[in-house]
Amino acid sequence: MRVPLSWLREYVDFDLSADELVELISLRVQEVDGVSRLGIREGEVVVGEVREFGPHPNADRLFVARVDLGGREVQIVAGAPNPYPGAKVPVVLPGSVMADGTKLGKAKLRGLESYGMMMSERELGISSDHGGILLLDDSFEVGRPVADYFPVSETVLEIDVFPNRPDLWGMIGVSRELAAVLGTDHRIPETSPGSGGEPTGAYGLRVEAEDLCPRYDLRRVSGVAPGSRAPLWMRQRLYASGMRPINAVVDATNYVMLETGQPIHAFDAEKVREGIVVRRAREGERITLLDGSTRALDEEVLLIADEEKGLVIAGVMGAEDAEVGDETTDVLVEVATFDGTNIMQTSQRLGLRTDASGRFERGLDPNMVGYAMDRVTALIASVCGGLVAEDTLSHYPEPVRPWRVPLRVERAELLLGIPVDSEEAAARLTRLGLSIEKENGRLSTTVPTFRRDLRREADLIEEVGRLMGLEKVPEMLPEISQPGGLTPSQQRLRRLRHVLADVGFAEALTYPFGPDRWLEVLGAGEDSAVRVQNPLSAEGKYLRTSILPGLLDAVARNRSFGARGAGLFEVGNTFEPHPPPEGVRGAAIRFRIAGETDRPGPDAGPDEYSLMGVREIPRVGLVLAGTVRPAGWNTPSFRAGFFEAKGIVERLVPGARFEPSERPFLHPGRSAVVRVGEAEVGWVGELHPEVAGRFELDGWPVAAFELNLGACEPDPEPRFEPFVNVPAVNRDLAVVVSSQVPIGDMLDTIEGLGSPILAEIRIFDVYEGPQVPEGHKSVALSFTFQAQETLTDEGVDAEIGRIAARLGEEFGATVRS
Amino acid sequence: MAVIQRIEELKSGALSAVAAAGSTAALEDVRVRFLGRSAEITEIKKSIGSLSPEDRKEVGRAANLASREIEEALRARTNELAAGEREARLRTEAVDVTLPGVPFPKGHLHPSMRVIDDVVDFFVGLGYRVAEGPEVETDYYNFTALNIPPEHPARSEHDTFFLDEGLVLRTHTSPVQIRTMLAQEPPVYVVCPGRTYRRDSDPTHTPMFHQIEGLAVDRGLTLGHLKGTLAAMARHVFGEELKVRLRPGYFQFTEPSVEMDLSCFVCGGNDPNCTLCKGAGWLEMLGAGMVDPAVLEEVGYDPEEYTGFAFGMGPDRMAMVKYGIPDLRLFFEGDLRFLRQF
Ligand SMILES: [Zn+2]
Repeated sequence: MRVPLSWLREYVDFDLSADELVELISLRVQEVDGVSRLGIREGEVVVGEVREFGPHPNADRLFVARVDLGGREVQIVAGAPNPYPGAKVPVVLPGSVMADGTKLGKAKLRGLESYGMMMSERELGISSDHGGILLLDDSFEVGRPVADYFPVSETVLEIDVFPNRPDLWGMIGVSRELAAVLGTDHRIPETSPGSGGEPTGAYGLRVEAEDLCPRYDLRRVSGVAPGSRAPLWMRQRLYASGMRPINAVVDATNYVMLETGQPIHAFDAEKVREGIVVRRAREGERITLLDGSTRALDEEVLLIADEEKGLVIAGVMGAEDAEVGDETTDVLVEVATFDGTNIMQTSQRLGLRTDASGRFERGLDPNMVGYAMDRVTALIASVCGGLVAEDTLSHYPEPVRPWRVPLRVERAELLLGIPVDSEEAAARLTRLGLSIEKENGRLSTTVPTFRRDLRREADLIEEVGRLMGLEKVPEMLPEISQPGGLTPSQQRLRRLRHVLADVGFAEALTYPFGPDRWLEVLGAGEDSAVRVQNPLSAEGKYLRTSILPGLLDAVARNRSFGARGAGLFEVGNTFEPHPPPEGVRGAAIRFRIAGETDRPGPDAGPDEYSLMGVREIPRVGLVLAGTVRPAGWNTPSFRAGFFEAKGIVERLVPGARFEPSERPFLHPGRSAVVRVGEAEVGWVGELHPEVAGRFELDGWPVAAFELNLGACEPDPEPRFEPFVNVPAVNRDLAVVVSSQVPIGDMLDTIEGLGSPILAEIRIFDVYEGPQVPEGHKSVALSFTFQAQETLTDEGVDAEIGRIAARLGEEFGATVRS
Repeated sequence: MAVIQRIEELKSGALSAVAAAGSTAALEDVRVRFLGRSAEITEIKKSIGSLSPEDRKEVGRAANLASREIEEALRARTNELAAGEREARLRTEAVDVTLPGVPFPKGHLHPSMRVIDDVVDFFVGLGYRVAEGPEVETDYYNFTALNIPPEHPARSEHDTFFLDEGLVLRTHTSPVQIRTMLAQEPPVYVVCPGRTYRRDSDPTHTPMFHQIEGLAVDRGLTLGHLKGTLAAMARHVFGEELKVRLRPGYFQFTEPSVEMDLSCFVCGGNDPNCTLCKGAGWLEMLGAGMVDPAVLEEVGYDPEEYTGFAFGMGPDRMAMVKYGIPDLRLFFEGDLRFLRQF
């Protein structure tokens, strides 16, 4: 809502600068989004009369005028050709400051001195018109300040009106609010009933769609002077309020809309056949609107029609046919309220949002209709001539009446946390238009119908609180009687993220939306992903089924900016369709829309989980790509590879088992499924080069993993294990086995021996080459033995022998000497 | 006796040789020369058996004393020279101390997550728990249960992503509050951080962003408790000097509703050209309010017995303000030039 301060001052007295007003409104009412200035900031604009006007001797596009400013004549250079001897013009005097902050000096333009400047409508803040100098009519007296006629300096506040406060979309509502804040009165323009005009009753009014139209009033203004232009002050206010002047009648309707918040429509009465019909559009009925578009309608659209055709999509936009134009002399004025939801749906479906539809959407007060009608018809008559009909056609079958809301002062004190004086609360609310009665110590309020947001006690308490001043609210802390804390799984997640950062990777967060390509790459069908009905683009059609593609895109981005590698991880959800069981789709929809679930019991239906239809799986994913860390002068580089990724998995999932597995997006020989017990909890592997190519990562090694968060137990809680002060014994063993033997199986077998003295095994070399037979490899193991007593060489040798023998039996291993 | 005299001569000769030796190798030569197998003192010791018993005793004593004295001098001189030689050797091992050390990898936590962790830790310290909920949410939990029934105009402002019928990507974390209240009896003290989604994309809006909401329901909670709690939180995150102020607000599920501004922690409201607050002196940071009685009723709490407050904040925006990040879109591009700074 744009609020020109000169207009506001007409309705309420205040002695505040613009800055103070902004602060006050922001702290007591609603946020002020901005302040703009129109016209001049400082200085003076006077009425001048042009004596002489002709071309500038030294410039093709400039003109020079001699202008009488009332007793003295000055020379002014102009850029527009429209003034002429005898024309009255606004002249801004040297030393004035324009809206954009420039200060006007006595300037020389191409050799000629210019005393100030003749002003266009835009420079004065009347309209966006900058085509010529504003020419003033004869009522302006030469030498007088223009400000005596209309403001030449305007400050406009842009108030951000909350959606539940349509009353603040009018100057009257804003002034009421400001008066309540200041504890003073406000005034509203007086109106008069019509008299002497042609009767409205010559036309009919029939409201067929009563459910969509709580009130519809129609009144006629006849004998209007055709082609009138609204007076300057009105056009100026419309412009300051962000509207475009059109013609006097339409401008008057818009002006009263800005005053009252109530949209108003005017028809050229001569073009209305017999009368006004408020009805639903017929299926397929077409209408050509003022914006030139032709729309096909249906029965959900409320139409204002005459007996022949549609005239207006109610509350949204009119057709060209019956609009007021330059020939109009007879006007039918509509002031009505429509069903807000219906207007919102219509404007959304047609993609037409207008000032009027935005207002109707919020639900307007039908009781504002009467005042707005009196005001607008009188205003039309006064600015365009004409007479207002004495009769009004009105459809208002169920008048809305004020309602009562009780208010307990102690409840207000409880919610607000400040002492509330009942007299003060009553006084504050009275200023807002409520009437208050006291009933055994509590207040009973009657709420005016323009405050539809005040329905309950809490609503009133909010009003009392903000008008008393929220700065009075003290800072307190509740006494909380429960211990706070993170759950074990929340703690694990924290630890996981810290471990991954501690070992040197960067936490990324990526959008969980992806294109078809993601599914193709993962080798998944369309049905395996949850579809977004209204994605921002085709790049976001599906919810991710894996964290991998988003991270690969991120890596590619880094590569395109010159990175040599990346190590990125992300913790987040993946999404899978989980359609409800056969036959319960209806129950699922009811649950999703209405929150209904079957009560638990022996014949209980499906649970919430299966009715949801989507499974969310919290996961952690990591991608290593290229040279994650380059070599230093004395350190090797860290490059992406299977074992680098696997090492991180081992840190996150102690006790994980790895089995070779093939996934379409992974290197077939360098990927594994990760298991905990029998359960599959994720995968780890190098990316298939084909897939790397599709993500612009050709030529880079890429390794990745993705794990279910629930399976991760990074750095588990330690438990103390006792030890003895007896030296440990280290012994190495190298064996030769077939290249096919998985070394993990060898380690499992050794563990399986259950050696009482074996404390640790480490593999320190794996070799294939000329030193061992073809098709074989040498595996070098380092053992640490530890017992309660000092170990003897014989004891250790025996244990090594047992291990070697077992490896021989199981894997055909021979000890390499 | 001549032999005794000779021993004395040998001894003083040896001692001067020791003193003159310039290296441990030269000392070794001295040792061989004066104490070695064919040295003169050694020869004298070997010949003692052929002397008379009286002489034997005297010569033996003198030879032994001389040997000991020479050995002692050798040892002292060896230690002296070895220390010097070690120092000289160490000096040849000098490194360029200006070369960089071995780099230990440094990782990075996302700035939004840093703020979330920080805020969560603050509330956990007060006695709050952390509640979580699904990102794919039902229409009912995301809207209706929060006082936004079907057809309500506020719905259109949420720019919702729609999935299967009746399912949306949650537009706020508020449904977690409802789920929490449905699952337990008061008192309730929870914070709910998480990802949220709106169909919007420009420098200050991304289709995914984070929220942290909080909810407290207990006997006797007031707007003052709300203000004190959020003020303390803001000071924890942004600095102790911070001031706060409440302004009227509007939210569907709170009444009264307020907005909370924080005093600008860059300029303290003293710089009209401040790039952070644009000279306003205040930063809009939090929306909050007393839980609407209709919401309490919807989850089966008695609004006459319990009151509560709820609040919401955007950790992404808080991170922008805290770390001076100009563009929200940077947060979700996975760009290391960005992530590496945190
Ligand atoms: Zn500042």
